[in-house]
Amino acid sequence: MAILSVLDREHTVAPPGYSRWLIPPAALAVHLCIGQAYATSVYKTSLVKHFDTSQTAIGVIFSIAIVMLGLSAAIGGTWVERNGPRKAMFVSACFWATGFLVGALGIGTGQLWIVYLGYGFIGGIGLGIGYISPVSTLIKWFPDRPGLATGLAIMGFGGGALVASPLSRQLLSLYDDNYDPGNSASVAGGGALVALFLTLGIGYFVIMMFGVFNIRVPADDWRPAGFDPATVKQKALVTTNTVSAANAIKTPQFWCLWVVLFCNVTAGIGILEQASPMIQDFFRGDDGKSTVAVAAAAGFVGLLSIFNMAGRFGWSSTSDVIGRKPIYAMYLGVGIIAYFLLATVGHNSTVIFVLLAAVILSFYGGGFATVPAYLRDLFGTYQVGAIHGRLLTAWSAAGIAGPLIINGFLDREGKPGTLTAEAYRPALFTMVGVLAVGFVANLLIRPVAARFHERSESTMEAAK
Amino acid sequence: MNQTPRLVISWLLVAVLLGYGIIQTLITAAKIFTS
Repeated sequence: MAILSVLDREHTVAPPGYSRWLIPPAALAVHLCIGQAYATSVYKTSLVKHFDTSQTAIGVIFSIAIVMLGLSAAIGGTWVERNGPRKAMFVSACFWATGFLVGALGIGTGQLWIVYLGYGFIGGIGLGIGYISPVSTLIKWFPDRPGLATGLAIMGFGGGALVASPLSRQLLSLYDDNYDPGNSASVAGGGALVALFLTLGIGYFVIMMFGVFNIRVPADDWRPAGFDPATVKQKALVTTNTVSAANAIKTPQFWCLWVVLFCNVTAGIGILEQASPMIQDFFRGDDGKSTVAVAAAAGFVGLLSIFNMAGRFGWSSTSDVIGRKPIYAMYLGVGIIAYFLLATVGHNSTVIFVLLAAVILSFYGGGFATVPAYLRDLFGTYQVGAIHGRLLTAWSAAGIAGPLIINGFLDREGKPGTLTAEAYRPALFTMVGVLAVGFVANLLIRPVAARFHERSESTMEAAK
Repeated sequence: MNQTPRLVISWLLVAVLLGYGIIQTLITAAKIFTS
């Protein structure tokens, strides 16, 4: 396996003069591909018809993938830190592409469990490893702007769905003459789905190899021109010490941040999960019919994706200037106001509704993208990728809690297609409470106690 | 070393992918206010 040694960390140290601006597009090449996970709804109806099964049975494919994302990021984080970003990206590409190929086999043979195994289990591992693979490398290349760097990469995960949704529709119409890409109720045949999965698997592997080829780690003594580490040290909460992943999970700071991420994601998913029917329900006339068409509701979901993506880059970059704790106070504090206004005056105008939902979704994206830099501030760069991986279990938990809260309340209020803005109020006020819990957890975050810090000698030894 | 071509190709790939996604999404989103 000597040929694979080119993937090792020691073979990826950047030569002097290597431009650090090659690193964000390398990270984006991976995140834009794995972000496809949020575009599975495009072919969901086609899969339901092909397997002649329920929406829930097909939804399980996505659920397995997200659970595997959280688990593989948490368990594989230390391996990623040890082996470096290039090997991690390569492994991620292999798992992600294999997930599509095995998924295609499942569709072709009519065996749903093979799709669970392929896209869900194998592809999910690719998602988790790929998500965390460039994070600590970006933080090391951009010690002066970690929020901007990780925001750029994690923006790609949001952008991946924007690319994959229209692309999948257009590919399905290419492979199946009866499929109408402009009609969300149109169903593609099994052959077209197999061809789509094969195309995406191969295409994503090629694009991810672009990232594998370009990614480099900086030399130990490398610093950006004109960068003075003392300027970073002066900021509140920012440490120059290091904490291992094993020690980080013993600190109250890690669990406070876990609660912050959990609450922020739970509130965001509440809107994302229900976005399309929600805008229709909010603007239902006296005759029971919505004034918002199905196609327009689909457009609303797309618009939210753009704000989700823009928030990842914009707010995370802003956190470099105003600090991590203040920006989370804004995500959660202004989020509380936005959710309250959505519940009370959101039904008065489409423009107000869309604006409030856009603000909430931009904070949702910002929360994801800013968290690696927050971890860097609290725990240092030593094992920040592994700590980030463990923190992402909050995402998996929120992925269960968010939809449960929204759907639980809505099920009590009536049947889909008959709900009004009033039916959403209990769920939206609950989200206000969830955000308030996150707000308090963020206020409780203090610098990490010295007893959790690594001794500098052992850090150096472990880094070798 | 001259890294300009590599930088241009790298960012171009990202711009093309994201640009395609954003334009396609905005076309669909325009239906909210025109329908």
